[in-house]
Order: sequence, then C-alpha cells, then structure tokens
Amino acid sequence: MNKYLFSLLLVIAVVLTACSDTGGSDDASEFPTDNIEIVAPASPGGGWDGTARAMQKIFDDENIIEKNMNVVNKPGGGGEVGWQYLKDQDAHTFAINSSLVITNNLLGQSDLTYKDFTPLAILTTEWISVAVAPDSEFDNGIDILEQLKEDPTSLKIAVAPSLGNNDHLAFVQAAKEYGVDVTQLEFMIYESGGDVVTALLGDHVDVATMSVSEAKEQHLAGKLKMVAVGSNEPIEGLEDVQTWKEQGIDLEFPHWRGVMGPPDMSEEEIAYWDETISTLVETEAWQELLVNNEWESYYMNSEEATEFLEEQTENYNQLLKDAGLID
Amino acid sequence: MGVDIQNFIEGLMTALHPMNILWVLIGGFLGTVVGMLPGLGPATAVAVLIPITFGMDPTSALVLMAAIYYGAMYGGSRSSILINTPGDGSAIAATFDGYPMTRNGQAGQALTISAIASLIGGIFAIIGFILLAKPLAAFALKFGPAEYFLLFLFTLSAIVSLSRGKMVKGFIAMAIGLMLSTVGIDLQTGVHRFTFDIPQLSEGIDFLVVIIGVYAVGEVLYNYLNLDRLKNKNKLGKKWITKDQWKRSKWPIIRNGPIGFLIGVLPGAGGSIASMLSYTTERQISKEPERFGKGAIEGVAAPESSNNAASVGSFIPLLTMGVPGSGTTAVILGAVIMLGLRPGPLLFEESPEMVWTLVNSMFIGNIILVIINILLISVLVKILNTPPRVLYPLILVLAFIGTYTLSYSVIDFYILVIFGIIGLLMKLLDFPIAPLILALIVGSDMEQNFRKSVVAHDHIMNVLLASPVTITLSILTILSISYPFIMSWVQNRKSKQADAA
Amino acid sequence: MVRLAMPLFFIITSIVYLILTFDLTKSRTGDPNAPLYFPAIIGIFLLIMGIIYFFQEWKKRSEAVEEFKGLIQGRTPVLIISSLVLIFIYTFLFERIGFLFSTMIFLGGLLFVVNGIQKWLQNILISVIFSFVTWYSFSELLNVSLP
Repeated sequence: MNKYLFSLLLVIAVVLTACSDTGGSDDASEFPTDNIEIVAPASPGGGWDGTARAMQKIFDDENIIEKNMNVVNKPGGGGEVGWQYLKDQDAHTFAINSSLVITNNLLGQSDLTYKDFTPLAILTTEWISVAVAPDSEFDNGIDILEQLKEDPTSLKIAVAPSLGNNDHLAFVQAAKEYGVDVTQLEFMIYESGGDVVTALLGDHVDVATMSVSEAKEQHLAGKLKMVAVGSNEPIEGLEDVQTWKEQGIDLEFPHWRGVMGPPDMSEEEIAYWDETISTLVETEAWQELLVNNEWESYYMNSEEATEFLEEQTENYNQLLKDAGLID
Repeated sequence: MGVDIQNFIEGLMTALHPMNILWVLIGGFLGTVVGMLPGLGPATAVAVLIPITFGMDPTSALVLMAAIYYGAMYGGSRSSILINTPGDGSAIAATFDGYPMTRNGQAGQALTISAIASLIGGIFAIIGFILLAKPLAAFALKFGPAEYFLLFLFTLSAIVSLSRGKMVKGFIAMAIGLMLSTVGIDLQTGVHRFTFDIPQLSEGIDFLVVIIGVYAVGEVLYNYLNLDRLKNKNKLGKKWITKDQWKRSKWPIIRNGPIGFLIGVLPGAGGSIASMLSYTTERQISKEPERFGKGAIEGVAAPESSNNAASVGSFIPLLTMGVPGSGTTAVILGAVIMLGLRPGPLLFEESPEMVWTLVNSMFIGNIILVIINILLISVLVKILNTPPRVLYPLILVLAFIGTYTLSYSVIDFYILVIFGIIGLLMKLLDFPIAPLILALIVGSDMEQNFRKSVVAHDHIMNVLLASPVTITLSILTILSISYPFIMSWVQNRKSKQADAA
Repeated sequence: MVRLAMPLFFIITSIVYLILTFDLTKSRTGDPNAPLYFPAIIGIFLLIMGIIYFFQEWKKRSEAVEEFKGLIQGRTPVLIISSLVLIFIYTFLFERIGFLFSTMIFLGGLLFVVNGIQKWLQNILISVIFSFVTWYSFSELLNVSLP
C-alpha cells in the first residue's frame, strides 16, 4: 500500500509542477506576455496546417519569438470553425487564412469577413495552371477557350475541391475575358488535386485546372500538358508554358495564404507581428520551405495586406457573379 | 519496366542500414500501438507525427511513415479481436469472426492468425509491387466514375447479403448509413445538405466518429447489461494455431492477398473495401458458410491478409504517378513534399534507390511486425485479465480522446454519444452494424461517382455497360443480392425432396 | 405494440428525410435538382424497407418483446444514465478546464459508478495516472493540440 501512496504523491507532484510551468510568465510589461497560439483552421496534414507548423518551428529555431508556441487545429466549414474561434481570442493568437475568408462570406456560407479580424500579413502564393492530356489537340490556353466559345458544354473541366474556389475562378476569369459564356461551363468537381490529376491521366475529363505544384512533375514527365499559367512571369523550371498574359488574356491570379489576428489589436501588437513576420520571411529556413512546396513569396505587411484584402473582395464578388454562383 | 536487380540490391542495402531498421522498428511499433486505440487510425498517426520528420532525410521519413501505416494495419485488428472495437474502417471485418473466437476462448489463436495472414498478404503485395507496379498503375487510371460507382455498389450489396435471414434489417442499416453520408456540402454543386447551419457538419459526418460511437461506446453500454455477471474471461487459450486451423486458413490467405492488393492500388478504394470484400467472398465460396460469424478462423485470416496487402498497394499510385491512393498516403505525400521530395511519374527514374529502399523496408518491416505482434500477444491478453469494471470505463475515455484528435472539436462528442446509443439499440434489436458503417464510408464517393458517370455516359444503362469492368461488377452485384434467395430456394427444394423420399 | 415502434420510427425518419430533401436549396449551376436525386432515392428506399419491416413485425405482434428487458434489470439503468450524465459534464468541462483535469474527473467518476466506491484508492490512482500518461504522450510527445 505504501508503494501506491508513494506513486500517487509522485504523480500529483509531477502534475502540479507541469501546470505551474506553463502558467508562469515573466516581466509582464511588453507584448507578448503569454504563450503564442497559431490556429490552423484545418486537420493536420494539409497546406494550412503545414504553414502553421512551419511558422512555429522557424519562429522557435531562429529565436524570433521567445515565448512558447502551440499550433491548434480547428478544422471545419472551410476555415469557418477556426476563424470563429480566433474571433474570441486575444492578440497572442493568430490564424492562417486564404481567399476562403472572402469567398465563404460572398457565397453566403459565413457571416465573417476579413473586416472582423486584423490582417497581419500575406505570406505566400501558388499559381494556378490549366492542363490537358499529352495527346490532346490543344496546345495552348487560347485553343481551349476558342472551342468553349463555340460550345461551352463541349469540354468537361476537372476542378477540386469545390466550386467558387481559386482553381475554379481562375479558369472562369480567363474564359470570361475571352468572351465564353461561363455560366454554361461543365465542371466536374473532385475531392482533391490528386484526384483531378488521376482523372486527367485516365482520360475521364478533357481539361483540368489546378495549382502549378500539383501538375508540374506530371508535365515534366510528359504525362500531361500544361497549357497556361495564371502568374505574371513564366514560372521557373516551366519556361515552356506560356502565361495567360503572353497568350493575350489579361489575368493574374494568385492563390495566396496569409495570417490574421483577432479584431481590435493595438498598434503596438500589430507592430510586433509586422516585425517578427518580416524577419521570418527573410530566413533561409522559410525560403527552403517555399522552394519545397513550390510556393512563391508574396509578402505584404499588415497595412498592405488590409488593402489587398479589400481589392480581392471586390474582385471575387465580380467573379462569383460572372460564374453565376451569386446574384 | 522490369526489375533492375542492381537498384533492388542497393535498395536492400540502404534498407538494412541500422538507422533505417531503427525507423522501421519505431514506426511499426508506434503504428501497432496507435492502431489499437479506438479512433486513432493510420492517417491520424502519420499526421500527428509529421513534425518529427522535419529535418529528416526524405527516404528515412518515407520509410518511417510507411512503417506506421502498415503497423497500424497490424494493430487495428488487435482491438477488434479482443474487445470488439475496431480502430479504423479496415479493421471492422476482423470483428466478424475475431471477437467470436475470443469468446470461444481462442483469442491467442485469432491474434496469431491475423498477424500471419497480414504478413503473407503483405509479402504477396510487395512481390506484386516489384513485378507489376507500372502496368497496375495504368490499369488503375482506367477506373473512371462508372467503375468506381459499381465497385462501391457491389461492396454494399455484398455486405448486406451477409445478413442472411434479416436482409430487411441489413437494407435499413445501409439506407441509414447512406443518409448520413449525404450530410455536408454537395461536392458537385456546393449546396449545403442537412447541415442545419452547423459549420462542423459542412464537411460531413466523419465515419471514424461513427465507428467509435457504434462500436466502442455502443459496446461499453451493451456490456453494462451484464457487467456484474461478466467474469474475467482470462481465456487466452492456446497461442499457436493448430494444423487444422492452418489448413482452413491457408487458401483464404493466399486468395485474398492479391484481391486486397488490387483494390489497394485503386485510388479511391482502400483497406475497408478490400477487407469487407475478402470476408464476403470467403463466406460465399465456403462449403460451410454457417460457421462464419461464430468464430471461423478463415473469417479472420481472409480480411487481415487483404487489408495489409491493400496498404502496400496504395503506395503504387503514390510512387508511380505522384497521386495518393488512400487517405493515409495523401498525408504521407503532404509530409514528404514538406521535406523537398516530390513523388511524381519520374520518381522511379530519378531516384530509384529511394523507391527500392522503401519496398525493401516494407519487406523487413512486415517480418519485424509479425515478431512484434506475436510477442505482444501475451501482453495484450492482459487486457482480457483486466476486470471489466475497470476496462470499460477506460475504453470509454479512450473513445473520447480518439474522437477529439479527429476533429479537435467537442461537437463530435455529441455525435459520438448519439451513435453510442444507436449502437446499443442496434445490438439489442439484432441489426447488422457493418452495412451502416460501410454505407457511410462509401456513400458520398458512390453518389459523386454516380453523378459524374451519368454526365459522362449520358444514360444510366450506358453507365452499367461502359466497360468490361462495369459489366462484370453489375453481374456480381445482382448475384450477391440474389445469392441468399437462391440458396434458401435450393435448400427448400432439397428438404422437400427429402420429405418426398 | 412496442414491436411496431421501430418500423414506425424508420417510416417516420424516411418521411422527414424526404421532406427535408425536397426542401433543399436548388443548385445554381447545371441541373438545379442535381443535389437531391440521390437523397430522394435513399429516402424512398428506406420508406419501402420500413413498410416491409412493419409487416414482418406485424406478423409477430402476438409475441412478447424481449429485446429491451436487459436494459431495466439490476443496476444497468443506473450505469447507463450516470455514464451519459458524466459524458455531458465532460463535454462541458473539456474546453473550459482543460484536458488533464476534466479527464481525471470523467474517468474517476466513471470508475466510482462502475467499479464501486469500495475501491476508491484504485479508482483515484487509475484516473490520475491514466489521465496524466495520455495527456503527456499526446500533448508532449506527439504534439497533438489538447485544450
């Protein structure tokens, strides 16, 4: 019995020490005064979670932030659950975001907009490409748009993971610019970018729109043919693929990710994040992460990010109307 | 492509490097442990371990994550057999005969045969991988929406046909499962269906929460009924299988390794479908189908061989084309991309040593896992020694923790309780549970593929006749539904003839 | 008549589901009814099966219902109800006081109900040690975010 009592005491002692460890905070004058929490509004294993965990690791490894940092996963509702959670936190918490924070609201799936938060930065972007099977008759984006202009239902277009997302809207915008009746287009929606690639490789669809990173290896191996990208400049390693601009379509379509904090942050707090995040994006570890993921740096500080989000909201509003998804 | 012997040997050497053996050992062990806990399947296990792989050599990371994956296949069936609570979809089939074997005092033998079957299934699949990776990948691509739709339909009908004598209850369970699968955003149109404005429901009801609810929570509540009469079963029985048991299991293991492997290769099918189809196939071709569900050893061997083979098979689309073949390989893909590796169609040509290291490590890993799992039997069986009054509260708590790691939200706790009560009622009223779960797993894919295939082929009849594969699957579906009726008709005739004589 | 409750439940479920189905938002792209075909098929299928089940049970209506007898015997109802109450307390406390203490309370409570008050020391030890070990292995070793 003594043995049991001893171990009981031991456990209690350990528990108590463990708790007091996390509770203690030293000189409470300057922000941050507490542990930092990074909200990934998705399950572990995806792009949002990856961004959050990479930020945590680099902030810590490079001693940019001294406080402890935790990543919390709050998946559900295309970011909605995580952002709702963020709304009620203090300035020690920030969340990863993307254009979904704009489109969810425009599509009537959420009451939240970027105005309910404090945009802290835009970090990265991916570019969106259009691909076809290697033996396809189409050699460039314009040929596809030409056929769709004649008969908008003649091609099946694969997209993931939902209507109204960037991959979908980038194609809609290009088609709209060319004068295609975009409300007639026949989209097949797949669950993930991987499924879109599979469908195209197996000839189950005619055209696919997806991020460059998902198509690049396949393109280089000659398994599928990228015919247009939505970036400003040709992409490194893919110089043979023309941008929409080079093909005469005025379109630049970033698929960006950024971070935002809860509403009503003080200037001091915003300045703190501007400083730490601008240091973060300069680190080698961050650059390496971008290369590995085929992301491009798209850094904007809190002020620029706020303006950018405002512009983007107008842009998306117009696009969703064009696509016939909202009135 | 042919097997390049030199690359193969080089891969073997790298796989035999002590560090890599250590990773296989760690991964396999972690996978086994995590796989045993309700709710913690391979996908979750790999996902939570991603931060550990930061900074690792990509090959070692891949070896480690693969080991976790097939380790979880071994572990998943442990809890199915011992306490009737599968940790993942692919471990459900192991409850059908594994748990009855435990009740018959043959827990040790059930655990042994499941480990051996997993090993043999895994080895079949690895050989298949070495010889057939590329042609199979090409075959898998030909599976379009029509083929997937009919594959899912066939699996559902096969599983309902198991509930012989209570087909109506089986169909009701299936319909409820399909209903649950329609909750969430409709992929093709973005319309919210039956979500009642709850954001957590917009991505659908996670089938893993339902599995934990119906099986783990339901089982605990059901056992409350007899709690005070339950004695420590403490019947491990013999650990090693008898000659007769081996004779019964031998062919089912050999037959179902390749079946599981082929289904695993298809991106969009997976271990759950593979093991369920293997179980139903064995039962339908068995000479003594009445033994199934009452502790038939071949009913444990067949699905176990199959689901482990499927986990190996699901690496083929990943490594040959860069597209994940299952939820778990999708997570693995995300993790290796973070490390700067981009599996794609050129992986075989550009870094063959990595592919062959992985294949060889799987081979070594499967052997290590069998040893781990057979050694663990004596430890695991202590679970049966735990007094039920302590064991069931622990299972209940683990069920909640497992659920939390799936969605990080307590909303799922309510879903868990609701399905726990549903599980209890189903057990009391003798409703089969498997059709409900399987319908929920495949329901939304089935609907989406059905709709895509109707768009692609214009008419439903064209969908059924789209290819030799769809025709075969259509015929199999009809057969599996009518089989129970034909059997009872034949038996009736026989008994009438006997009466007449 | 208890016997007919289950089939009636399924019939009602299918009707409610069908009503909800026809009430779904129409799709703005392609066929406006596309989202509701599949649910409609399932709803009708369940309705038919419910009716068949109803008649199967109707034939047996004179037999007594034995299935639920176990639920009201001995301390089963106490166990089930107190477990459910503890689950709701746990759900309520989980994100408010954190994983570690809420799990200790939940597991401790369950053990006191199921295992009995006499074994109080065993109950306390198990709940404290188990909660601590799981908290440590998830939150510290595996980096899972727990409240």
